Amino acid sequence: MSAWRTNVWLRLRALMHRRAFDRDLEDEIGFHLAMRERTQQKLGLTPDDARHAARRQFGNVALLKEDTREMWTFVMLETLWQDACFAARTLRKSPAFLAVVVLSLALGIGANSTIFSVLNTVLYRPLPYRQPDRLEVVWETELSRPNSQESPAIADGADWRKQTHVFEDIALTSFTEVTPMAGDGGGEQARAQYVTPNFFHLMGVSPMFGRVFTASEAQDLSQTVVVSDAFWKRRFNRDPKVLGKTFKVSGVVSTVVGVMPPTFGSFYGGPLDMWVPIDADSARYSERKDHWLIAIGRLRPGATQSQAQIEMGAIAHRLEQAWPATNKGVGAKVQPFHDALYGGMGRNLYPLMGAVVCVLLIACVNAANLLQARTETRRTEFAVRASLGAGRRRLMRQLLVESGLLGLAGGALGIGLTFAGIRLFRAIAIDFPEAERLSVDIRVLLFTLAASLATAILVGSAPAFQAARADLNLALRAGERRTTAGVAGRRTRHILAISEIALAMVLLVGAGLTLDSLFRLQHVDTGFDPANVMNFDLSVPEGAPYVERLAGGDIERVSPLVAAFYRRLLDKVSAIPGVESVGTISPFDFGGSFSVLGRPAPPADKMPSTSYRVISPAFFRTLRIPLKTGRYLNGSDLPGAPWTAVVDESFARRFFPNEDPIGKRMRLRYSDMDEKQPRQIVGVVGDVKWYLADKGPTPVVYASYLQQGSDFRGGNSMTILAQTLVVRSASGLGPHAAGLVAAVKKAVAELEPDQPVFGIETMEQALARTIGDSRLFARLLEIFALIALLLAAIGIYGSMSYFVTERTHEIGIRVALGAQRGSILGLVARLGLKLSLTGVAIGATLALGLTRVIAQLLFGVTPTDPVTFAAVGLGLLSIALLACYIPARRATRVDPMVALRHE
Amino acid sequence: MKDKTNSGELLRDTLDMLVLKTLTRSVMHGYAIAEFIEEATDDVLRVEEGALYPALHRLELRGLVAAEWGVSDNNRRARYYRLTAAGRKHLSAESAHWNRMTAAVARIMEA
Repeated sequence: MSAWRTNVWLRLRALMHRRAFDRDLEDEIGFHLAMRERTQQKLGLTPDDARHAARRQFGNVALLKEDTREMWTFVMLETLWQDACFAARTLRKSPAFLAVVVLSLALGIGANSTIFSVLNTVLYRPLPYRQPDRLEVVWETELSRPNSQESPAIADGADWRKQTHVFEDIALTSFTEVTPMAGDGGGEQARAQYVTPNFFHLMGVSPMFGRVFTASEAQDLSQTVVVSDAFWKRRFNRDPKVLGKTFKVSGVVSTVVGVMPPTFGSFYGGPLDMWVPIDADSARYSERKDHWLIAIGRLRPGATQSQAQIEMGAIAHRLEQAWPATNKGVGAKVQPFHDALYGGMGRNLYPLMGAVVCVLLIACVNAANLLQARTETRRTEFAVRASLGAGRRRLMRQLLVESGLLGLAGGALGIGLTFAGIRLFRAIAIDFPEAERLSVDIRVLLFTLAASLATAILVGSAPAFQAARADLNLALRAGERRTTAGVAGRRTRHILAISEIALAMVLLVGAGLTLDSLFRLQHVDTGFDPANVMNFDLSVPEGAPYVERLAGGDIERVSPLVAAFYRRLLDKVSAIPGVESVGTISPFDFGGSFSVLGRPAPPADKMPSTSYRVISPAFFRTLRIPLKTGRYLNGSDLPGAPWTAVVDESFARRFFPNEDPIGKRMRLRYSDMDEKQPRQIVGVVGDVKWYLADKGPTPVVYASYLQQGSDFRGGNSMTILAQTLVVRSASGLGPHAAGLVAAVKKAVAELEPDQPVFGIETMEQALARTIGDSRLFARLLEIFALIALLLAAIGIYGSMSYFVTERTHEIGIRVALGAQRGSILGLVARLGLKLSLTGVAIGATLALGLTRVIAQLLFGVTPTDPVTFAAVGLGLLSIALLACYIPARRATRVDPMVALRHE
Repeated sequence: MKDKTNSGELLRDTLDMLVLKTLTRSVMHGYAIAEFIEEATDDVLRVEEGALYPALHRLELRGLVAAEWGVSDNNRRARYYRLTAAGRKHLSAESAHWNRMTAAVARIMEA
């Protein structure tokens, strides 16, 4: 053991056994005295004389004991404790000061810890897999656009796996997909993750019981599935005999073979029911066109990301040569798994962290300001203590201990506010990943402690230095206090007030810009009327009797039963009382290329492409999408009639710039198959935005669900199988919504008992969800800016109040000499205006530089929007002046007699 | 924890060195150490006996000696001190320093 460790250990032991230590010391000295006494007696002294001689020879027993004891204690710690007790007593004497400081620090620290806990959860906490830092995602990238990344074709992923040496293994997985399931206990929309059998081993997780997939268990008509703990609980009531139970997933008979532990879930922490196996080598994916699984690889021990990048690039190059039709110009890109999941989150979160640091700085400045004022009023106290022999260091330490206590108290209360903050965050957040996993863990606690201590040092250092510099003579001559109350102190306080305003200005500009963006987003013209519309998602199962898989497994044939189902459903729903109109639209955009008949065909890779949506004819009327020319789809567009299509304005503008599109014929090609018949354009409708933050409209072709082919490649039959029912209520939603939902569900159940209905929400909710992140960001920034404004106002008020108190004497003289009320007001207001103008100017300059970091998060406003800057500046100025007003008015009421006698 | 004056420190260091040197002979309790120093110097160095105890505790805290409770010849509970490896090292450094010092002083006094 090194010397200092021995030292500390011995001292700690003495501290813990203080009584035993004292007794031992007593014994040791007693033994010495007794021995000496005995020797003296042997020399012939009387017992009494011997005892006295022994004592004499020993010296001052009490003093030596004290010396020895002191040696064993932590003198530093004990004086620190004394300082803390003293500080606590002094602070308790001014409860208002204490409350304001602790509360503002707690707000600042709590805001920081809340945002830190979000950062911690999504960015800093390691992923819950074995050696998560060895996991990499491999993307396909277009070599001509190095920044592009796309999920690889399934067959490419399978080839990567066979050819790699740098990765131990590569698994393919989807994110969470919704898929209909049916079985005992009714139909529902299950949340499934499609994975290759090696997925679990790659992630390093084992099932709670049962097994995971073996090499290949994905069959066309039956499969095994592994279910989540939550699903096992919900669907099987934790039945221990769940293994071997079967149900249908997308029409495929599925047998449960394993249950995963509750700790293993979906990538972003959302609910997940089961894992469904994918056979990446199946002939089904041989076209190399199924880009819906991501590839995750585990690096071999010792292998690096750059080695992986080089190897994957080489493999991609080989695939380019082997499959030129699909892989020409396609490279590979390796990215750490954590980055792939959360890399983009920092863009939103770091500006928020910056904002809360700003709030904390304001709180610190505020506290420093108050502490500074307090130190000045305590100058006499410090001077007296200094003249009685207290060292400057001791005085400084006293003040630092005081601010330390304030910081820690703020931190303790801040932790409480963090719990509240996390709850608030969850309430505001829509679809935020991992929101449920946000918590105050040890890292958040350590962060809070660090923030509290940093706060204490920031707050306490200025007054401490001031106190150390105090001039004894000046301070002790009480009469001069009023006129010379430290030019340095006054300047410090003014600088603090200015920086508070400047910081508040930065935050308010940021909040102003994002709120402006949010307002614009919420008032985007979507091109349709979302009010009083309710959405229901439906998806008929991907199996018998609706879908038949043709020999070879690659082609799915959709039965006419699907169209019949939707047709009957539309009839039933439109008959529900209170329903004004009902339509359907395919929720997935299966865009593709097309050719216009009569135009020379462009080369294969230059074909124009468009979005493509399958709708029911009543869709446009239900959403009130305006008709520009031609006609809507209608009852005449039946399977037997010539096929028709309606396009939107941007389609017409882009592809028929100088001609009338009506009457033109085109052939759509999607799912890599040409449609059976060409379609004639019969109408042009207005552009529609499904996402509020959409930058520009995209060309869309709409066609009726009744005029569709039957054969689809891969999963493309979903265009027909899945539909969103949009129902416009004549009587408005609100109280009628529940009845409408029940009636629609009943209509579905009458047609197909196991058919789940999900995604039930109003169109307005669905739109709001598309700007969830912007809303969250703006709301949080708004809250932080309001806190900042409040703190800054308190700061200004404090400064001005102090200014007035300090000058009561001077103002009294002025009033006695006949100064008018206005000129006194002017005296205070001028200073207030000077401070706040300087603060606003500095803040505006800072903001000009800083708002650039949130430029990407803004919509419809530039980061230097002059209107926002001007409005925030003026607002802040008027609040600052308001904060001056109360002290200023008090100044005008100064009674000259009282003021002059106030010596 | 430090003494206030330099002269005190000098005395203190000398006492420490004497205690350490004494302990090279055997394990001893405080009284025996005091006795030994007095006898060996023919009572020339009669330190105030009490001062020995702060010194012993200081050495213990610095890890130069280790202490243990034992039973004395006359069957009383006594605290026995033993030189540690660190103490032995410290002593040899100190005595080398001391020898250089005294030799230097002696050269001046004899000149």
